[in-house]
Amino acid sequence: MIRKTIEIVNKLGMHARPATMIVKAATKYRSDFRIIKDDMEINGKSIMGVMTLAAEFGSELDLIADGPDEEYLIKEITELFASKFGEE
Amino acid sequence: MIILKGASVSTGIAIGKAKIIEKEVLQITRKSIKDHEIETEIEKFEKSVSHVLNDIDLLIKDLAQSKDHADILTTHKMILIDPEFTSKIKRSISEELMSMEHAISEHFNEIVDIFNNMKDDFFSQRSSDYEDVAYRLLSHILDKSTDRFGNLDENSVLIMEDISPSSVTKVFAKNICGLCTEKGSKNAHSSIIARSMNLPMLVAVHGLLENVKENDNIIIDGNAGKIVISPDKKTIGKYSKILEQQKKEIHKLKKILNIKAETSDGKKIKLMSNIEIPEEIDQVIKNRSEGIGLFRTEFLFMDADEFPTEEQQYQIYRKITERCAPEPVVIRTIDVGGDKLSKLLNIGHELNPNLGCRGIRISLEYVSVFKTQIKAILRANTKGNVKMMFPMISCVSEVLKAKKIIEECKSELKEQNISFNPAIGIGAMIEIPSAAITSDDIAKECDFLSIGTNDLVQYTLAVDRDNETVSDYYQPSHLSVLRLIKMTIENAHSHNIKVAVCGEMASEKKYIQLLIGLGIDELSVSPGRLLVIKNEILQIDSGKAEELAGKIFSALEGEK
Repeated sequence: MIRKTIEIVNKLGMHARPATMIVKAATKYRSDFRIIKDDMEINGKSIMGVMTLAAEFGSELDLIADGPDEEYLIKEITELFASKFGEE
Repeated sequence: MIILKGASVSTGIAIGKAKIIEKEVLQITRKSIKDHEIETEIEKFEKSVSHVLNDIDLLIKDLAQSKDHADILTTHKMILIDPEFTSKIKRSISEELMSMEHAISEHFNEIVDIFNNMKDDFFSQRSSDYEDVAYRLLSHILDKSTDRFGNLDENSVLIMEDISPSSVTKVFAKNICGLCTEKGSKNAHSSIIARSMNLPMLVAVHGLLENVKENDNIIIDGNAGKIVISPDKKTIGKYSKILEQQKKEIHKLKKILNIKAETSDGKKIKLMSNIEIPEEIDQVIKNRSEGIGLFRTEFLFMDADEFPTEEQQYQIYRKITERCAPEPVVIRTIDVGGDKLSKLLNIGHELNPNLGCRGIRISLEYVSVFKTQIKAILRANTKGNVKMMFPMISCVSEVLKAKKIIEECKSELKEQNISFNPAIGIGAMIEIPSAAITSDDIAKECDFLSIGTNDLVQYTLAVDRDNETVSDYYQPSHLSVLRLIKMTIENAHSHNIKVAVCGEMASEKKYIQLLIGLGIDELSVSPGRLLVIKNEILQIDSGKAEELAGKIFSALEGEK
């Protein structure tokens, strides 16, 4: 299991398009993927879950991946966040 | 007077009064199901979801230019395949015995509530995505049972946000004169159906619902791709004249409905239909088509998440075959490029898909996929007159390979004791220049040939007709193309087999005389074009047509 804390660095926060990108990317992998924000924990492969996090600019998220390809999953998701989802 | 532009689905003019069909408020009743219904309810749910996913895929494909809109639709797809959503609905059905529509509406209501309660406006707006998806899914489920169109007549021009394929059939039965939607796309299933019915229709008209009021006078100009709202007198006058002409034309065409297509000097031309989806069969029958000259099977595979089974394919082929019997149904085996099947097959990225692994090449590469389709076709052949046709043949060896596989399928079916009819006509599409040039060899191994002019022109002249910059180079009557067509017809006839043209050339009036002059035996066109083309054939004298073809050749050859 890998756990990693990241910060939302794109201005608009995790709105529909970034959420779609995250779920799409996570779904490519076999590992379980969960995201925690404050006291809320959701399935990172569920668009509904990711969108209901309503994660705005500057908020912190814990990414948890567990499975055979957890490293790749975390790597790709981290890069997605860092790229600001191609927004700015 | 307001004029709005849209994408024209079918040609033709309609003048009438606007009937606005509001996005309806869906009535969901709190229905529960019985224990023994759980399994079928879940199955129905999965089917509905995959149906709506397909619809969305079609829209996305058409929206290549509008990235924002395509992004939204991609999000909608993700919402539908959300594992949490699927498992929750299945739980509600199996544990709480909720009907699927009840379960779905309750689920989405909860989510919409969550979003509406968010403090941040930017995020809470996202509830609209869930409302949209819920609407799309529920209206698909409820569509079958409700009639929301009420009183419509031949003066009605339907104005809607979007329309489903089954609704097009419904409103057509109410004799409306035209249809216009704010959303939608030219290649959506609903549009294909409207086209085969010759129903004047415009889609993707931005600003439509904002500008039209109930009972406004409306003109739909399917030829120019525009809608005129509250036209002035002069405009009405102009269009009334065109419409009058159009009505006369249709009236004239109706008279030849029961006449068989033959030239004025009695040469029979078999006139058949091309269909893309099974729903078009009603128009095929209604217009007295002499069978189906091209049944495209791509719809079975495009955007599918898994390959259709032999049984699923058989059921579809069987229905179409039974409806057409004793007339023939030519089923063309899968004809898409690997790029379109990326969800199903692991074909690497191709730099040039048009010259890549597509058509028969896919079938010969993935033999088990091919076999499933062949077996379904052989089985359907017990229900009528089925023929099998291979696309993208470049030389005879591919036909021989395919025929060998057909023989293997026959023995396998026999071993499994599944009933089938082994006597099946085999044909090749002639759409690659090399196939036309070696059509003598190919004709030896086939029971018929069918010329696909769209690809034949594209490959002969090396031109993509959808590329505007070079579209002038796309010339179906180019000497090279005509020579290939002539050569193919002569080679087929010297082997005593028939030749059809199933490409777009067969649907255009101006080429019919030339094709007949070259000796074509059969034409296959979109069901909406059957009568127009038949009318053309009836007026042609085959002797004169032959003379004309000779003249065209010498003129073109003299051009050098």
